[in-house]
Amino acid sequence: MSELTHTPSIALTSRGDKATDTMRAPTQQELMRELGVKPKPGWTSRLPPSVAAFVTNGKGMAGVVILLALVLTAVFAPLLSSYDPGRRAGKPHVQPSYEHVLGTTRMGKDVFTQLVHGARVSLAVGFGAGIFAAMIGLAIGISSGYFGGKVDDILTFFVNVVLVLPGLPLIIVIATMVEQASPMVIGLVLALTGWGWAARTIRTQTLALRTREFVLSAELMGEKKWRIILVEIFPNMLSFVMGGLVLGTIAAILAEAALEFIGLGDPNAVTWGTMLFWAQRNMALQSGAWWEVFPPCLAIMLTGAALVLVNFAVDEITNPQLKASRNIGRIRKFLSRRGRSADVF
Amino acid sequence: MIYLLRRFAFYVAAFFVALTFNFFIPRLMPGDPSARIIASFQGRLNEAQIDAIRQSYGLTGSLWEQYLTYMGSVFRLDFGISTVQFPEPTASLLFYGATWTLVLVGLAVFFAFIIGSMMGIHAAWNRGGFFDSFFTPINVMMNAFTPAIVALLLFYAFSLQLQWFPLGRAHSTEIMPGFTFLFIGNVLYHATLPVLSIFLVSFGGWHLGMRNVMINLLNEDFVILARAKGLSDRRVRYRYVARNAILPQITALALSIGFLLGGALVTEQVFNYPGLGKFTFTAIGSRDYSFIQGQLLLLTASVLVANMLSDIANVILDPRLRT
Amino acid sequence: MCSDRALIEVRNLTVDYVGEHSVVRAVHGIDFDIMEGEAFGLAGESGCGKSTVAFALARLTRLPGLVSGGQVRLNGEDVLKFNKARLKAYRWNEVSFVFQSAMNALNPVISVAEQIMDVIETHEPSLGSDGARARAVELFELVGIPPARLDDYPHQFSGGMRQRICIAIALALKPKLIIMDEPTTALDVVVQRDIIEQIVELKTELGFSVLFITHDLGLMIEFCDRIGIMYSGELVEVAPAEAILTDPQHPYTRALGNSFPPLTGARVRLEGISGTPPDLRSLPEGCRFAPRCPHAMERCRLEAPELRFYPTSQSEAACHLLN
Repeated sequence: MSELTHTPSIALTSRGDKATDTMRAPTQQELMRELGVKPKPGWTSRLPPSVAAFVTNGKGMAGVVILLALVLTAVFAPLLSSYDPGRRAGKPHVQPSYEHVLGTTRMGKDVFTQLVHGARVSLAVGFGAGIFAAMIGLAIGISSGYFGGKVDDILTFFVNVVLVLPGLPLIIVIATMVEQASPMVIGLVLALTGWGWAARTIRTQTLALRTREFVLSAELMGEKKWRIILVEIFPNMLSFVMGGLVLGTIAAILAEAALEFIGLGDPNAVTWGTMLFWAQRNMALQSGAWWEVFPPCLAIMLTGAALVLVNFAVDEITNPQLKASRNIGRIRKFLSRRGRSADVF
Repeated sequence: MIYLLRRFAFYVAAFFVALTFNFFIPRLMPGDPSARIIASFQGRLNEAQIDAIRQSYGLTGSLWEQYLTYMGSVFRLDFGISTVQFPEPTASLLFYGATWTLVLVGLAVFFAFIIGSMMGIHAAWNRGGFFDSFFTPINVMMNAFTPAIVALLLFYAFSLQLQWFPLGRAHSTEIMPGFTFLFIGNVLYHATLPVLSIFLVSFGGWHLGMRNVMINLLNEDFVILARAKGLSDRRVRYRYVARNAILPQITALALSIGFLLGGALVTEQVFNYPGLGKFTFTAIGSRDYSFIQGQLLLLTASVLVANMLSDIANVILDPRLRT
Repeated sequence: MCSDRALIEVRNLTVDYVGEHSVVRAVHGIDFDIMEGEAFGLAGESGCGKSTVAFALARLTRLPGLVSGGQVRLNGEDVLKFNKARLKAYRWNEVSFVFQSAMNALNPVISVAEQIMDVIETHEPSLGSDGARARAVELFELVGIPPARLDDYPHQFSGGMRQRICIAIALALKPKLIIMDEPTTALDVVVQRDIIEQIVELKTELGFSVLFITHDLGLMIEFCDRIGIMYSGELVEVAPAEAILTDPQHPYTRALGNSFPPLTGARVRLEGISGTPPDLRSLPEGCRFAPRCPHAMERCRLEAPELRFYPTSQSEAACHLLN
């Protein structure tokens, strides 16, 4: 078919229409302006790319700001309130007032004081358990993915067992056996039962990295295995560890509140969960003392919401597909303004 | 087939691990477990009964003998005798409670999975649009509100303040249980708020899961090809994208059953609903170890069964697993 | 069999990728025609924008890609302005697509029969499902796969067979143009040859045009009537296939030809092209190849050359050296 004689392209004769308005392409600068694409802020240029992506992510930073505010409240709890969280501070079930910003409990304890002091334990247990679970997940996930073979078989079996064992019921068994479970014990048990998802994700990621050139070349150069894991693989896992940590923390904060709510915690500890436990036991809602119930509820919801926001950001960093949809609205507008059907995919 | 057999072997192994856990946890705790159990009867027992209890709990003989006795009793579905409702066997209480819990969790999971997945499909297809940017974060945040809180708020608003829904129980005492419209309607009426509270904290997860899997699939060549073929949007969306995205969702659904059963436990407590959770709560208060251990085994078994069903569903839906 | 009538006219086609902080111009105002019955090839280094052009022609540009300017005309109609209904008819009736990886181009969980039949049923509903199936059987025979295997799933076929199935799907509605984006790159050499021979045969029989994209310059010269060479989002030369090696006009075409081993004749030293293509976020002022061009002059760095027709060589090229 190549013996064909070819006639000059007619393209040239009809090239005069190049300047037609509809065909004109905007320059890159014009396009950036029209689509609202902003150049990378200069101050992020020195940060590692994944950190820079996080700090420029609106949702993620909103979550971080809320979490910081909560942590600061917890740290400075004694300065924010002059009452003792564990002692009677006024009459029982006083409505919110100047004296008692969020009222008092049936025992006459100040709700606001309990709330800010409770934040200390609840957040510490939540983050503690979340971090610990992420660490276990990281260690098991990386070893399982990197070493493969028998090690992988055995570890994967345990990961799957941990995944199918129902967490809360198991914790209930353990917590009843130790009589009253202190927040420490609850956190520890939550961490020990909550690392399954993190381990599974990190194992999958390690398997993918295992065959990449930089790992193979490090192996050929005779690097020690633990060094390859620490130097070559671990840095690539940071955002996945972060994801595991955030999800683990959410799970731990919720589970801790649930456990204490059903009476498995130490009723003398001041946490958001025990606040709910006492409110439920003393029929606070039935007697109209909503202020004893709503503040810890809102605190837990706010913490959960903030962590979810952070997780959204982490998701967008580990999964670039999710981010691509951000400009879709502007791209649609760009097309319809030019009379073209917005069949965007 | 080999795939299913391998999975089945895993579930049997996992169940043995759970059984072993259950066996060792009380024996690893400080103090003699039998003393604790007997103490929980608060002196209602004579010497012979104490001996009988030691026998029936399998607390005599060497550790290995105890282990075998324990395994044997579990497979006879003999979980011992309840201390709260003495001398009712624990097993019958467990199964009574489990029935009601199944009603709650079953209904909640059904609606949450279907509605959440549909929302996820919609959000992914119109990603970056109003629905996606507004409802995706909100639904997922609801997921991070523990069932305890949502249940409390719903209870306060609809049972106490507005009094639209009952304050407790699974059905009114004056209605005869049976397969009548009246009874089933009454059961659904009582289940509405508990089901709603489990629904509200779980549908966001299905929304996000479906959305993220779908968005990744939208870039696959076979989806682009389906679009290039000029197929209708509907066909591409359901037959080429959602059809594939549902597979990991089914696996996740089975794994989440344990979490949902835990959530039901708290919800039942708030709504005074006579499910497994309510009984567990009472059992915790009176340290009824046989019941507490029994509920763990029962829930583990149901999670394993759910996983098995999801494997079977996956084999039916995914031809790659069939060979 | 290749007429003088242009089937597709591409004018000033510009495609951008909208990133988070930048806009990357992947295709920068290119012009070319595809004649009726012609096999037109696009070649160039990876990342030069050739696949982007192919997707834009089929209206399949995916996010974050955006066809920001230019026209694609099919018999004078502007493809980029097609509304939904017209687009549906354009897709597959007039233009079909064969993807690089047949592995990913077929949905793994639905049967091959359905993936062929759905496109026929969508565009020719009058055939009914029996008619569609009869057509699917014909298509399978046409590409040399036993029709008995119609109801199998993609994973049950070898790589070569899957690509044949994709070609069968592409032929389902006897389109005027088939776009082939590296259709054989993922296959081994022997299968590659079989498939190409089959495409040549089918093309002779059915008379469709082909837009052919590949890294393999040898394969392309053998198969195509005319070839366009792309560099960094621009078309630098469009020439009759044999002239690409024998009479290259643009220094980049020459360099590309030099880095390609001749199948016959004396062994020659292969020369690579030093340097890398420019960053598409900030392009040089003048000719994009100038920084790597051994013959670059002052003018090349200041002024971008236009694609012009040179009757002596029957080629179009964009280079100041030729003036």
